[in-house]
Amino acid sequence: MSQGDVANSGQVVFAIEAFKRIHPVEFQRRFLTQGTRHSGRGFSQFRATHVTKGTISTAQGSSTVRIGNTTVVCGIKAEVSEPDVKTPNEGYLVTNVDLSPMCSTHFRPGAPGETAQVSSEHLHRLFGDNVVDPESLCIEPGQAVWALSADIVFLKYDGNVLDAAVIALTAALEDLQLPKAELDSATGVVSADKTMGQRLKLRKRLFPATFSLVDGAYLVADADDAEEQLATATVMVVIDDSDRLINIWKRGAGDINRETIARCVEDAGTRKAALAKELE
Amino acid sequence: MTRPDRREVTQIRALHCALGRLNRVDGSAQFSHGDTSVLCGVYGPVDVKIYDEKLDRAHIEVKFRPDIGVPTTKDKWTESAIRQTFEQLILAQLHPRTLVQINIQVRQADGAVDAAAINAATMALVDAAIPLHSMIAAATCAVLESGDVVVDPNQEEIDQARSIHTLAFTNKAAGNPAYIDSRGDFTMDEYNRCYDLCATSAERVLAFMRKAIEGKVSKEAKLNTT
Repeated sequence: MSQGDVANSGQVVFAIEAFKRIHPVEFQRRFLTQGTRHSGRGFSQFRATHVTKGTISTAQGSSTVRIGNTTVVCGIKAEVSEPDVKTPNEGYLVTNVDLSPMCSTHFRPGAPGETAQVSSEHLHRLFGDNVVDPESLCIEPGQAVWALSADIVFLKYDGNVLDAAVIALTAALEDLQLPKAELDSATGVVSADKTMGQRLKLRKRLFPATFSLVDGAYLVADADDAEEQLATATVMVVIDDSDRLINIWKRGAGDINRETIARCVEDAGTRKAALAKELE
Repeated sequence: MTRPDRREVTQIRALHCALGRLNRVDGSAQFSHGDTSVLCGVYGPVDVKIYDEKLDRAHIEVKFRPDIGVPTTKDKWTESAIRQTFEQLILAQLHPRTLVQINIQVRQADGAVDAAAINAATMALVDAAIPLHSMIAAATCAVLESGDVVVDPNQEEIDQARSIHTLAFTNKAAGNPAYIDSRGDFTMDEYNRCYDLCATSAERVLAFMRKAIEGKVSKEAKLNTT
């Protein structure tokens, strides 16, 4: 059937792809009103997540995460730096999310857009002191500390930036091996022995779950790009290994009641099991 | 336990609101929770850049400036969160191909800045006569190391808290939160306690907002009759 055939009744019949482009809301409603989604998933079904660690040999820690068609690579470089005067025993973790036109037409070239900046900041809030103990990054108090620079680069984007970024960064931090470093007090030079790497002892691991309220009425887990565009509210739940809550973040004023949030937290706990297995 | 300023755990700080003090913008509000003071100026509906123009609704923009220093990604985060929330609350379909710009300037920060910013934005939008689906009022709770839950924490309490919860509620009967930002290390039980406290506090803030608007309307009525 070619695009725009006029059927006998006078209705114009579109091919599916054209319909999806021209009437995105109506397209999604065809599925949502029937209790399913255009990808065939159930409302509370997350996409299969695949995690691979150590994918960048030149980085001290790295990972690649695929959630459906969203693919992200995280690389962590460790550099020696001077500590802040106020916190002489503490190193840094700097998180940077990169969303470029390479991964989706939503993003423009040049300086980081709003989504990238907000995601970088949110990751910083989540991981901050929660996951990496800043004092474990100290080489010599007051003089030398490790500065971990984590770059999270999206290669393909199909919804759910934050979940993918959190999982990728968690995996990369688990993969991270810091060279054993020593400060020579005479010369002030830090020498690092790459062969004697030590893994960081992480305080906890973070397990995210994002839900979107599509078309103001249907709460779906792990929305893909098409569903995200129509969301009137988004809820992100982050829990740790012992099911303690780290973050509940709802933005967009779409109507979500208390019981629904509680269900989201439960679903996040269920998803954690699947993610924990992938992170092994 | 005694709080630094000797308030009760369920007691919010003194609220203060001044409407329409800025004469260049379409609407403005200065909203204070105790020593936290936020100024918001709203332009709208005004001309929009072609790139941002939407055919069927107004484009909503939020600019957030901190009290000290240049805006950083932290402020971009706040801008985005506030924008996404008000995008659903402003009846943007009434003003297609225009811009509603919400400018927020923190004047003094002593904890619960995000909540004060949301409250100031609501009042400024009302002052600018931008049509709203509903008003929202925000309140903040902190769970301290001891497990005590305190409402409207100041910066000192926030620095010592194990988790911070900022929730905004609409004035609609259903009473579901329009915005939730809960961060730290907490349990579902602590979240629920904060939820209840924030809901009660938000009701008080909404009642206060109502009085402030009634005050402004009656003042304008007096000016019109003289």
